[in-house]
Amino acid sequence: MPDASIEAATSHWAPRFVTQGVDPNDFRRVTAGLERWEDWLDAWSGHGDFHDSLAGEAAAAGRDRTAGEAYVRAALSHHFAKFVWVLDMDKHRQATRRSVESLRSAHRFLDPTAERVEIPFEGAGLVGNLRRPGGQDHPPLVLLLPGLDSTKEEFFHWEQVFLDRGLATFSLDGPGQGETGYALPLRHDYEVPVRAAIDHLSARADVDLERLGVVGVSLGGYYAPRAAAFEPRIRAVVAVSGAYDMGPRFDDRPLISRQAFQQYSHSADLDEAREKAMRICLKGVAELVEQPMLVVTGKLDRLVPWEETRRIAEDAPRAEFVAYDEGNHVCNNLPYLYRPLAADWIGEQLRSL
Amino acid sequence: MSDERLEQAITHWGDRFTGAGVEPADFGEVTSSLDKWAQWCEAWSEMAGGHEKLGRQALADGRLRSAGEHLAQAATYYHFAQFVFLDDLAQAEAAQQRATRCLDDALAHLVPPGRKETVGFEGSAMTGILRLPVQGAAPFPTVLLIPGLDSTKAEFRRVEQSFLDRGVATFSLDGPGQGESRAALPMRADWEAPGGAALDHLAQLPEVDADRLGAWGVSLGGYYAPRLASTDARVKACIALAGPYTFGEKNWHELPALTREAVRQFSRSASDDEAQRFALTLSLEGRAEKITCPLLVVFGKKDRLIPWRDARRLAEETSGPVELLLFDDGNHGCTNILYRHGPYAADWMAAQLGAAG
Repeated sequence: MPDASIEAATSHWAPRFVTQGVDPNDFRRVTAGLERWEDWLDAWSGHGDFHDSLAGEAAAAGRDRTAGEAYVRAALSHHFAKFVWVLDMDKHRQATRRSVESLRSAHRFLDPTAERVEIPFEGAGLVGNLRRPGGQDHPPLVLLLPGLDSTKEEFFHWEQVFLDRGLATFSLDGPGQGETGYALPLRHDYEVPVRAAIDHLSARADVDLERLGVVGVSLGGYYAPRAAAFEPRIRAVVAVSGAYDMGPRFDDRPLISRQAFQQYSHSADLDEAREKAMRICLKGVAELVEQPMLVVTGKLDRLVPWEETRRIAEDAPRAEFVAYDEGNHVCNNLPYLYRPLAADWIGEQLRSL
Repeated sequence: MSDERLEQAITHWGDRFTGAGVEPADFGEVTSSLDKWAQWCEAWSEMAGGHEKLGRQALADGRLRSAGEHLAQAATYYHFAQFVFLDDLAQAEAAQQRATRCLDDALAHLVPPGRKETVGFEGSAMTGILRLPVQGAAPFPTVLLIPGLDSTKAEFRRVEQSFLDRGVATFSLDGPGQGESRAALPMRADWEAPGGAALDHLAQLPEVDADRLGAWGVSLGGYYAPRLASTDARVKACIALAGPYTFGEKNWHELPALTREAVRQFSRSASDDEAQRFALTLSLEGRAEKITCPLLVVFGKKDRLIPWRDARRLAEETSGPVELLLFDDGNHGCTNILYRHGPYAADWMAAQLGAAG
């Protein structure tokens, strides 16, 4: 019998793993034998090693694309090893490092123009991956914001949906996220790091900062409207399954999710974490989002009730709201619904400028 | 769920569905809603209809990339609605036609786009889909993709992509007994005839390099492809995935009822006995040794439809260079470990045909 944490991780997030690119059979193979949450990281890290070794073999044989695809799977495995797993932060860091390395290797083979961008910020640094669509000198740019426990290493296929539609992507590890999160804690005023990222990117000639959009998923579905409310250079927003007011429902979340919040916000305990979660609130903020905004969620969301996400759209003056009856958190059980919609919609908004 | 045929369909083919692009949540939703096999075609057609609607809406909105993706997905679902649904042929035929229409409407919007080709054959016609790699210049090395008993070109978008990504053009064919060609042409063993006609057609296309043709087949297509290669020297490299050496020789009566009935109907046999006699003509006996081109044989030891020793026998008897990839944990078609062999096979074919990708 798997323990409650494994049960929570698999029941909440299995479709997310698969949508981000974990093979469905791999998901079953890795989780089937797991009983103790303590073993979660090692199991997924080992699986990441397996894909790294497949990638290495393919690379040695000159099978570049095969190598790249295997490195993407390796990066995902290393990432999901630690996504809400915070029992041993040395192992957590190690998994993050491996995840970053594997994705960098994937980029070398699959998208050599992908670029790691480091942005000095508050004595530390933000890190993002910039990717550009082929055949365009000055494409519109979309910032892709992760949530509580997602990172840029989870976004290779998500980026592809935008790239396929002629949009450049910048997947950002902001405060509390991925490799940035060790030095910089999660913060409610996410417009601050986003501003730093835009400042940094605005020097570039190969993306069009006049046509800048932001797309956030999960907690990123809070960050995106929050950033847009205070940053007019953002011209269009997509928010997927974001919280409107996280604090009051903090204790309804799975324990592993609350523990991750505690860790990523650098809180001493769950009480401090809950206090910080109280600041994750769009009251008086969503109404400042004057940009066109698409708010999407699923009515079967068990982490953020869909009615809460709807409040973001209700408060914002120019928001459209889409709720899929059968969608779970982030609608990752129905990627073919929300993904093309998000990318088509924001592409149309940015191209109409 | 106590319906044996329903249970067989779900347990034998779940991984094949998701591997071909069916969303796992959709698979779960449809199959958990069923308690009788008789509902299969209708339930899948309904789910397909949702994807078709998304595709039609995207077309109307000018969201063409999404339109192509939705309509291709709808075609795959309509195809699976009818793939071994033999209880109500009118229903199955309707689903087949909708699969065809959705795929036809998707083709222009796929990246790279697809083009429908008609291959004249024995006074009738077969249809296939030609796709050319985005990178590189014509004429392209080209691989003929051959479905099996109950697969069709409607479920080949991902397989095509693996070759296209590596600079190899693809031609997904509905041959005799398959998909769009089934109504006019019954299933047959001598695939050098329809396969040869397909190669004739490809060879005269300016985009195709007639000197660099390959053949890939899955399941019964894993027999058809080597059968074609055994007589047609234009096949420069061949991949046999999960094909039989002699179909049903050792296990006819252990095959799922759905499979045997599909053989009976698609071959237009009068009875199960006649269907079995027909199946036994699908044999590489005396033919495997005539294959001289490089051959890649891929098989899973957990295959419950075709004995894995068939793969070893083919590999032992072929006369050209051969590689046997035998996976201990692979099921039929190794659809549960796609990444172990799909990219490898595409790399292999690209290397054999000297693709630039």
